[in-house]
Amino acid sequence: MPGSALRVASRPHKLDRADAAPLSFPDPRPSVVSGPYGYAIAGARCTACGHPNATTAPRCPRCGGEAAAALFGPAGTIWATTTIHVASGNRAAPYTLAYVDLDEGPRVLAHVLDGPRLAPRVAQRVRLIARTDNGDPQVEVAR
Amino acid sequence: MSAWIWGVGTSNFGRQTDKLPAELAWEALQEALADADVAHVDAAFVGTVFGSLGVAQRALLGVGLAGIPIVTVENACASGSTALHEAHQAILSGRYERVIALGVEHLTSLFAGPIASDPTDREQATGLLFPGIYAMSASRYMYEHDATAEDLAAVAVKNSRHGALNPRAQRRRALSVEEVLGSRMIAEPLTLFQCAGLSDAAAAAVLGPTRRGSRDVALRASALRSGTSWDHTSRHVWGYDVVRDTARDAYDAAGIEPSDADVLEVHDAFTIGELVTVEALGVDAEGAAPAAVAAGEHSLGGKTPVNPSGGLLSRGHPLGATGVAQLAELVWQLRGEADQRQVADARIGLLETMGGGTAGLDGNACVVAVLQAG
Ligand SMILES: [Zn+2]
Repeated sequence: MPGSALRVASRPHKLDRADAAPLSFPDPRPSVVSGPYGYAIAGARCTACGHPNATTAPRCPRCGGEAAAALFGPAGTIWATTTIHVASGNRAAPYTLAYVDLDEGPRVLAHVLDGPRLAPRVAQRVRLIARTDNGDPQVEVAR
Repeated sequence: MSAWIWGVGTSNFGRQTDKLPAELAWEALQEALADADVAHVDAAFVGTVFGSLGVAQRALLGVGLAGIPIVTVENACASGSTALHEAHQAILSGRYERVIALGVEHLTSLFAGPIASDPTDREQATGLLFPGIYAMSASRYMYEHDATAEDLAAVAVKNSRHGALNPRAQRRRALSVEEVLGSRMIAEPLTLFQCAGLSDAAAAAVLGPTRRGSRDVALRASALRSGTSWDHTSRHVWGYDVVRDTARDAYDAAGIEPSDADVLEVHDAFTIGELVTVEALGVDAEGAAPAAVAAGEHSLGGKTPVNPSGGLLSRGHPLGATGVAQLAELVWQLRGEADQRQVADARIGLLETMGGGTAGLDGNACVVAVLQAG
């Protein structure tokens, strides 16, 4: 255990995580690109059953068929939504998230621009826009 | 063919910063071994989600159980019940005769706020904490079934009344609807008292292949599934389909229907979870759970009591220990040893645990088990 000092402490004892390796891994969030009709999620569509998927997995989650790169969005519909009142990472609370069913595309998790003020509802139409400052996929309520 | 629960034991539930995970497990193991009146077992299956390396071995060594096969399983909130399922299957197959199922979790040494799943998961990385995952289900459920914030809060109120009767529960105070709705907002519409708190605890059970006496409880069936893809083609909120399908496996194996259950311990990590779960289990029709809760059907003294222990919301939700804690409650209920929270004439008990937190999945795992008084 390099860097860790053996300590005998009276309980309760908080683990010292200062010597932990910095977290480093590729960004797992769906990639948002600027496409011909606005912003889009770069995902894949199954070549066997046509199922759309927002991930880079090599096979279809429904049938195991081969996935081929595809773009989805920008328009979609809110399937469910919540406003989170607890800060998470660099995100200050409150912030609003929605599961958005993109038209002919997959269900994606996105932040809703100005969500806490607008209080978006299920079944409202939204549109993909540029990522948040934190790099999260983001939608705005369609006007 | 059945396996039998010979003995169960648990620690207390709650913030136990003065105890190590292994120490909590020793309390549960000692009680279970004494309850079963055995000193040795052939193998142990141990459920833990965030348990550190070797926690199972440290726990078992402390009660003289070393040298045996030990298998540690992680299946999110269904880790403890997966350990139970695997112990059960090991006995049915004849692989082992006497098996321990242990669940142990020490969350307050790892988290200060809401539990996050895995940083490499795409939805976790987008800021969807566990309360948010369930809040999404609540959002959709309220839209589909015209359910209200009061309908959700009623689950916490009911389970807090049950928990008030459980001396080992984490929350032992009966709450009013106003208190539940007035507690701090976490993820709309879920307020603080609609979320299980951080909990440290352990629970253990000893399983054997024969009935030795009337205190032994029959494990009639257990089933385990993982969720399939949850996506834009899914009609239900996440977790519904996997609970429904796992329950059907268990009902068919036990030869029962949901209406046969006298008492249930189900997964209510958040209020919405219990509503969705009792519907997925077939105890209530789709959209009918709020009315059943309001009518007192799922309260102690009602037609089908759900979570007499206080559930995850009030007894506590030490993730990997939860499934085995649910088992302990059902064993006490079916033996008639549940004191103030005893369900009268309970013969058939139903256990359900469903763990999630993985993007695009209809639940990481679900276990449903059917128990019968010996
Ligand atoms: Zn496919």
